Amino acid sequence: MDRAPGPALAVAGLTVRYGARTALHRLSLDVPRGQFVALVGPNGSGKTTLLRAVLGFVAPAEGSVAVFGRPTGALSALQRAREVAWVPQDESPRDDVRLSDYVLYGRYPYHGPLDAETAVDRAIAEQVLRDVGLDDRAQDGILALSGGERQRAVLARALAQTTPLLLLDEPTSHLDIAHQLDLFARVRGLARDRSVTVVAAIHDLNLAGRFADRLIVLSRGQLFADGTPAEVLSRDLLARVWGISADLRRDPHTGVPYLIPQRLLTAAAAAPGERGGGPVHVVGGGGSASPYLRALADEGYRVTCGAIPLLDSDAETADALSLPTALELPFAPLGPEARARHRALLAEARAIVVGPFPVGPSNLANLEDLEPYAGRVPILLVRYPPIGERDFAAGRAAAAYERLRAGGAREVGSVEEALTALRALGTGALPTTASGAPSAALGSEG
Amino acid sequence: MAPPREASRFLDWVSYALLGAIGFALVGILSPLLGSVLIPPRDVFQILLHQLSGGALFPQPCAGTGTSARLCGAYGTILWQIVVPQILLALVVGAALGISGGALQGIFRNPLADPFLLGISSGGTIGAALIYVYQFEIVRADVYLPLFAFLGSITTGLVILGIARGRFSSVETLLLAGVALANLLSAILSLILLYNPAGSVQVTFWLLGGLGLATWSIDGIAFGAVLVIGTLLALHGRELNLIQLGNDVAQSAGVDARSVRLRVILLASMATAVAVAFTGIIGFVGLVSPHIVRRIARPDYRVVLPGAAIVGAVFLLAARDVSYLAFPGSVLPLGIFTAFAGVPFFLYLLYRQRRSTTMGGL
Repeated sequence: MDRAPGPALAVAGLTVRYGARTALHRLSLDVPRGQFVALVGPNGSGKTTLLRAVLGFVAPAEGSVAVFGRPTGALSALQRAREVAWVPQDESPRDDVRLSDYVLYGRYPYHGPLDAETAVDRAIAEQVLRDVGLDDRAQDGILALSGGERQRAVLARALAQTTPLLLLDEPTSHLDIAHQLDLFARVRGLARDRSVTVVAAIHDLNLAGRFADRLIVLSRGQLFADGTPAEVLSRDLLARVWGISADLRRDPHTGVPYLIPQRLLTAAAAAPGERGGGPVHVVGGGGSASPYLRALADEGYRVTCGAIPLLDSDAETADALSLPTALELPFAPLGPEARARHRALLAEARAIVVGPFPVGPSNLANLEDLEPYAGRVPILLVRYPPIGERDFAAGRAAAAYERLRAGGAREVGSVEEALTALRALGTGALPTTASGAPSAALGSEG
Repeated sequence: MAPPREASRFLDWVSYALLGAIGFALVGILSPLLGSVLIPPRDVFQILLHQLSGGALFPQPCAGTGTSARLCGAYGTILWQIVVPQILLALVVGAALGISGGALQGIFRNPLADPFLLGISSGGTIGAALIYVYQFEIVRADVYLPLFAFLGSITTGLVILGIARGRFSSVETLLLAGVALANLLSAILSLILLYNPAGSVQVTFWLLGGLGLATWSIDGIAFGAVLVIGTLLALHGRELNLIQLGNDVAQSAGVDARSVRLRVILLASMATAVAVAFTGIIGFVGLVSPHIVRRIARPDYRVVLPGAAIVGAVFLLAARDVSYLAFPGSVLPLGIFTAFAGVPFFLYLLYRQRRSTTMGGL
């Protein structure tokens, strides 16, 4: 087909207003041909408005939208329908039209009022029904299709327009997880095989990250972030744009980040590290520190962690929360490098939380390295389970614990209690200046 | 479960053909026999064949039937100048009402939309009422009544169009505006009649619809107008199919939904105005005909629009026939009979649809 050069989609300085409300504000972005772009952002962030502007449903107040180098405002509905097809969030047909006829509706832009459907149209309709896996249902009425099948039928109708640009607006919001995967896998495949450019508004960030080449994050009508899923997805983004706390992990098969939403952040803590002062250090191991790591991160503290072996579940939590961590190799005693790193993190800390980790000869140093800070930096010792039950170092752990307590460390019984104690310490006033002391202690340590 | 495509399509066509045959039997055989004057069937056929063949067949109609030549002449006049024009007018008006009902249901995506709901025909009644009530001196009912009724309807249609052109008018607001307008017009009509009791009987009679104005020349005008308007409407089948999926979807698939809406409302108003002008208010044909096509054939507007025209034509003629069968020799308003004939059939269709839906489809 004869098309002017230019990106599949070019948005320049686009502002869209609904009455007094600005839905999009000076948005600019280009989508090159063949890309699968996921448009993400909270409800009301402007995803749907952007798609509607591309389709010409809303007129820009400022700026322009062009598909394949042609401004959409200058295209007639027919011309546009040969360039852009649309899969809406919820297309609910009223009449029980036969599926094969329904898909042929997508051939509308290629015919005059008196033309009959041609063999080419029917071949295209059969092809797209095969593409969406509904070729065996062609003679059924669309009302007889299940929700998942119906959404694939809508996709087929849009594909029958044989456009080089396909827009999808939350196409899977009513579908179960299997149908979500299925639909996106099909769209992904079509984008690759037919070099169709896809722009899809997607709520599910894991699906978006899994299938899209690129994430465009909108927030309050503006571009917030733009890049590959690995570049864009971060705890910071989730906190700032969605106001949630989430663990971020890496899919071991694909290397793509995926997230496990944890909870809604309070407005005060909507951004990690927002609280002033130095970091709070958490000493952990064996998964004992994970609840504290998450709670502190969610409260907006900068958090560090150590010293723990790789593959420990605390290490995974710290990684998911993107925390600076002193790590040792799995199943190895803490070596000089890990301890040095741990001491460096301790030296930065304005407060230290000691998780209820099992203490053996290999990680006894975690307790012993704390001793120089007792009385200088607030230390919170988690009391349960009691140290006696998790002392696997022949009483040396209990002795170290006792020395810390005697030196001024406080005991806390729960995450909540620890948070309350930290809040009571206030910000700013904490002694981050204690850094001189540990280095002196380092030298004396033997 | 689905029968093979070819077989089911073939069965579809057989049933359509049967329905068509029944329709034509009504037109060709039953209808001319019925009228305000009862004419012996043999005379009817001889006179008709004589007229249709230009005198070649039955050069002396009524020859072997025992009817006198003078009476035969009178029968001939009644048949050829009154009955046949009425039959043709019923067909033309039924077609106009059917197709405009189908088009309006499509454009409003509402199964209850019809020309009457929107007030298009109420506008016609006001035009007509003005003539009857104020007894304009120059009254020549056969000219001025249709003219005023047409003007009243088309004005109402244009007002609705004006609302439709407004920037923020959704289909729903438009429908509500039409309903409100219809009510306003009814109120105005009531007011006119209240202060002019002399004209109210005539107006009421006309309001209920009838074929009394039918002449060959009126048939010609109506046929020409309905043919043109109906053809233009029927060309919007593909657009209406897409509009059923929502205006946005239609727009994304290339339909200029706004301009289609304006065109279809304008054309449907014109078709209704023609119908109202010549036959007054005949309800139910526009509502029920598209449903019959949708349920019996399929919900494809390329089929529904011409189908509703055919069904509407046969339906209105059948209503005329029923009125003469039920009350031989009398002239009762047709609108009464469209409701009598249509409602039970409509309810049956709804019942059948419901049952087949709960049983998992046809």
